[in-house]
Order: sequence, then C-alpha cells, then structure tokens
Amino acid sequence: MKTLRIKQISVLFIIILTLIPAGFVHAHKVIIFAWVEDGMIFSESHFGSKREAKNCSIRVLNGKGLLVHKGKTDEQGKYSFKIPENIDSGLVLHLDAGTGHKAHWKISENELRNNPSNDDIKTAMETKAKLEENPSLYKIVTGVGIIFLLAMVLKFIKKRRKKSD
Amino acid sequence: MHISEGILSGQVLSAGAVIAVAGTGIGLKKIDYDKIVHVAILASAFFVASLIHINIGPASVHLILNGILGLLLGFAAIPAILTALLLQSIFFQFGGLTALGVNVVIMAVPAVLVHYLFLPLLGKSSKLNFTAGFLAGFFSILFSSLLLGVALWFTDKNFFETSLAIIMTYIPVMIIEGVITGFCVTFLLKVYPEIIPKKL
Repeated sequence: MKTLRIKQISVLFIIILTLIPAGFVHAHKVIIFAWVEDGMIFSESHFGSKREAKNCSIRVLNGKGLLVHKGKTDEQGKYSFKIPENIDSGLVLHLDAGTGHKAHWKISENELRNNPSNDDIKTAMETKAKLEENPSLYKIVTGVGIIFLLAMVLKFIKKRRKKSD
Repeated sequence: MHISEGILSGQVLSAGAVIAVAGTGIGLKKIDYDKIVHVAILASAFFVASLIHINIGPASVHLILNGILGLLLGFAAIPAILTALLLQSIFFQFGGLTALGVNVVIMAVPAVLVHYLFLPLLGKSSKLNFTAGFLAGFFSILFSSLLLGVALWFTDKNFFETSLAIIMTYIPVMIIEGVITGFCVTFLLKVYPEIIPKKL
C-alpha cells in the first residue's frame, strides 16, 4: 500500500512537472544578435525569444580584446552604431543583462568590409533561430529520465555496498 | 540566478568547483537508500522549475525551488542540484559548464542552510508546515542572492550595489517561492508524511 502511494505520488509529480510547464515555458538565456548594414552595426537583444533585454550595456571589443565602442540597448532591446574607424579585425559585441547574464555575438572582418552574401545572411539567421529555440518537451522528458536513471544507479551502488557490509 | 560563462575569474570558478565537489561527496554519502527516489523527484522539480518565468522590470527571473529541496533533503540537495544544473546547462544552455561549481554553491549552500534553520518547525501543525515551507523558500532565495552578489563582487568590486540590485530583483521571487514551497510542503506532508527527514 505504501509502495503504491509512493509510486502514485511519483507519477503525479513527473506528469505535472514535465507536461504542464511545457505549454508556457521559454528559454531563459539572454541572446544578442547583430548584423552589418550600410556602414552600421545593428543589434537586437532579448531573453529567449520573448522578452527584450532593455537598458542593458553593450561593449564592443576588437580582435585584440580592446574596447572600441560601448552603448546601451533601448526599450526594444535594440542598439545600433556606426562601424568604428580603423578596424583591422572582426568585432565581438558583449551584452551584459545583469545578475550574471551575459551573451556575445561575433562579426567577422569580412562581414564588416563587404556587404553580407545570401549565404552569410542564411547562416546568421540559422544561428539566431537556434539560439532562440525554446526547450522542447523531448529535452525536458530526457532530462527527468536521466535524473531517475542516475538515481537508479545510485540505488544499485548503495545496495551492493549494503550487501558487502 | 545562473551565472553565465566568461564572467567570473578562474580562482572563483575553481573555488566554486572544489566546494561543489566536496558538498556533492558529502551529499551522496548522506543520502539514505530509501530516500533516493525522493531526491530524484525533487531534483526533477528543480530541473523543470527554471523554465517557469517571471518578468520583473528589465530582468527575467525564473523559479528555483532550492528551498524545498534543502528543507526536505538537507545535504542530499547538493548532488540533486548539481545534477539538475548540469542538465539545465546541457539542454537549455543556462549558466555554463565552467560556472557549474559556482552555480551549485549559489543554489545548494542556502538549501542546506534552510534545512537546519527550518526543519525543526516541520510536522507539528499544518500552519507551522506552511510557515516552515514559506521561510525555507524565501530565505533560500535571499541567501542565494547574497552569494550571487559575492560571486559577482569579485568581478564588479562593488558588492553593496551589486547585491542590492540582485536582492531587489529577486524579492518577488522570494515571496513567490515562499508561497509555492509553503503549499508544496503542506501538501506533501498531508499525503506523504514519510517524506519529512529525520529530526536533527
């Protein structure tokens, strides 16, 4: 009877925890996406794919890691600026969204000098889509499955130790 | 609450990793054979809770549930939190593998603290069960915010402002987690009182 109750509670918990949140979850990681257009660098920053990263600081570093520009995102999480002069390397835009949340986006030297090709745009959009991807139910269930698998391994080890004692 | 990669210095990351490994070792040793399933259930809750979001001002925060893990598991919460954070890092890209140790310390140390602070209140009455749950949920986030402030202090060198900003951001989460932990503990103790750990 006791075992049955434990099993029932376990199943109930797992169902609630895996299925219900899956309907409204979204990725928490902060993301910055940037591209070059007409001598300007445009950027968009947000948490997952839903919420804009407002008033967050952006630092732009060159290939040597030196600061070449800095600014802040607006209410839409956007920030744009003219490509800094005398740049001889690619740039990395670092977004600081506070409380330990950071993200970066690399722009190659080639992208800064030439207009991006269709392939460049396609690759960038694919990277952006991948970053914005929300956690799937499959990943959630797999994660919970791994936790229980590890628990079973621990149970097995403890059981063997008990027997050998 | 997860610190991303590339923020903290090597020394802080190493210190976090050492504490996390030591804590995990103690936790694994202290897990009672019959309670392993409880640890797995609560670790799963922690793993999924991070996907439930609350938008506060410019920040985006999520549920953590380290209070309920700590209250009901004690030291066993450390390996549970380590496993859940590792999986969050792999599957959802929260935090990062190099910052895993520090993130474990930030979330698991307060969990163990609330266990020793509020476990004596459990099992006496329904009201006290809720109070213990609320306090565990509330203070675990408060302590985690302080530890997050300490970890970031090594980068910002501005402990007071950093900690204050973090605590202000997390006050609503402290209240929400307190209420959720209170209700969960009350419910669990009604349907399955065996989940209460042995008294200290």
